[in-house]
Amino acid sequence: MKRYLFLVVALLLAALYLFPLYWMYATALRPGGDLFRYPPEIWPSHPHFEITRVFLTYAVGRYVWNSLVVASGTTLITMVLGTGAAYVLARSRHPMVSVTLFVILVLQVLPPSLMVTPIFVAFNQLGLLEWPRLAVVLATSAKTLPFYIILCRATFAQVPGELEQAALVDGNSRVGAFFHIMLPLARNGILVVSTLVFLQSFGEYVYSRSLIASTDLQTATVGLSTFLGANAQDWAGLMTYASIYVTPILVIFILLQRHIVSGLTAGALK
Amino acid sequence: MRFLKAWRDSDAFNLVLVVPAVGYLLAFSAFPLIYNVVMSFQQVDMFDVGTLIRPLRGFGNYVDVFARSEAGTVLWNTVLFVVMSIVFQLSIGFALALFFQLDFPGAKWLRGLFLAGWVMPALVVGAIWRWIFAGDFGVLNYALRSLHLIGGPVFWTSDPSIALWSIIIANVWLGIPFNMILLSVGLAGIPDDVYEAAALDGAGMIERFRSITLPLMAPTLGAVISLGVIFTLQQFDLVAALTQGGPAGASNIAQYWSWQMSFETYEISDGAVVATLMMTVVAAVALIYVRAIRHEQRA
Repeated sequence: MKRYLFLVVALLLAALYLFPLYWMYATALRPGGDLFRYPPEIWPSHPHFEITRVFLTYAVGRYVWNSLVVASGTTLITMVLGTGAAYVLARSRHPMVSVTLFVILVLQVLPPSLMVTPIFVAFNQLGLLEWPRLAVVLATSAKTLPFYIILCRATFAQVPGELEQAALVDGNSRVGAFFHIMLPLARNGILVVSTLVFLQSFGEYVYSRSLIASTDLQTATVGLSTFLGANAQDWAGLMTYASIYVTPILVIFILLQRHIVSGLTAGALK
Repeated sequence: MRFLKAWRDSDAFNLVLVVPAVGYLLAFSAFPLIYNVVMSFQQVDMFDVGTLIRPLRGFGNYVDVFARSEAGTVLWNTVLFVVMSIVFQLSIGFALALFFQLDFPGAKWLRGLFLAGWVMPALVVGAIWRWIFAGDFGVLNYALRSLHLIGGPVFWTSDPSIALWSIIIANVWLGIPFNMILLSVGLAGIPDDVYEAAALDGAGMIERFRSITLPLMAPTLGAVISLGVIFTLQQFDLVAALTQGGPAGASNIAQYWSWQMSFETYEISDGAVVATLMMTVVAAVALIYVRAIRHEQRA
């Protein structure tokens, strides 16, 4: 009996915590005039989703597309550069490994809002700001790469070393053992960590805001922050924008929830 | 023997895999870090951005930054923001972790749901909270008034004495899941028989928490606190969405101030000064964290 009482309390706590997400959807479902009514309607009485208007007024499609471009580029660079490095750092006993890991851990904590000043000046001098989305991808990858390496290293470390040794004894080269044994066995972990990198870069804000000058190339976060400043009356529209933008993120989260929890905890404390 | 030889021969393969990643980090992370320190000693504004040889200012920029009228407010706000965020994230996160440690159906799954806050883009979270905080039509004021906790509407984001607290509240919301999950892992690592032995000795619930849970959780708490400081010092998006440091700089914190100087008023060398000082703090906390988790691994 006591167990069900705990369950009820847990449900209430989760509902209280997740209220802001509910409020985003509830606001998006209310027609504009209903918003400025007191007391506010907690449950929308005339649900009404203004997708077409929001797509036209706020160009959500273009902004989300730019975010997709940035997130895909970042995830690609991070996976290509990070996977092999994570594998070596998990397996090699070379004395340089601990030094490299230390450097990676320290580089992981640098705040983008502070790194963006030197990155902006340097990219400006190199002419990289001619390709602003590429500039954001390059800057964001430097932030996601350490995170990816540390989490993927934990995944590779879980693959039994005997399997790789057996492959080597059977005449496989190191290269062959890596591609035919290690990568397939670590595949699930790699995919989960890559998804986390994708979600992170899909919500990136500082670099996009600072390195992309042209509105046509801006990402979804920057678009939302612009409308927050200029047009903070149309909350139904802004929350519809936010819902369109984050619903895919929340769906991916629910699908991968269990793996995200275990992946995260493995990386931060080990 | 053949296996050992293969490992030695394969140093080249290891290098091929590691060097690109390390090289990338050196180019796009370590280099900007050093470049930032250099710029903090130079005169850098919109006209000097294109060149490498700029007038040297020595510690002049540092003196200028601290002489600014808003420096004191920003410094105090940053300390308050970090300390209050950590205190509330940690205590609420710890309480939730202890609660979800109880045995009831769906405990793990419900606990995992809290991480939805962690995957949300912080800027969107800031936007949602700004609407929740709205003065006249906001749902938070409505709830507080219904509970008779406040008389009139509170202007969360535009009242200078409260604006910083709106950022702290949103940041606590963002930080709770991470704290809770990491602390849950630590709690799960405490063997049940330790508690059972204490219960047999007649220790009550509070006594058990004080004499078993807290001491055994100390290393995890240390790691979680340092990570919390690091994440809090990275928080930028919430400030941008909620107050932009306003009204009149009342809720500004160091990382946002640095960005404003570089990108709004183009006083790039002053922005670099604040960035250099802040990164020193972040790096120091990171060193403590790395040493703490290393120590734990050896133990």
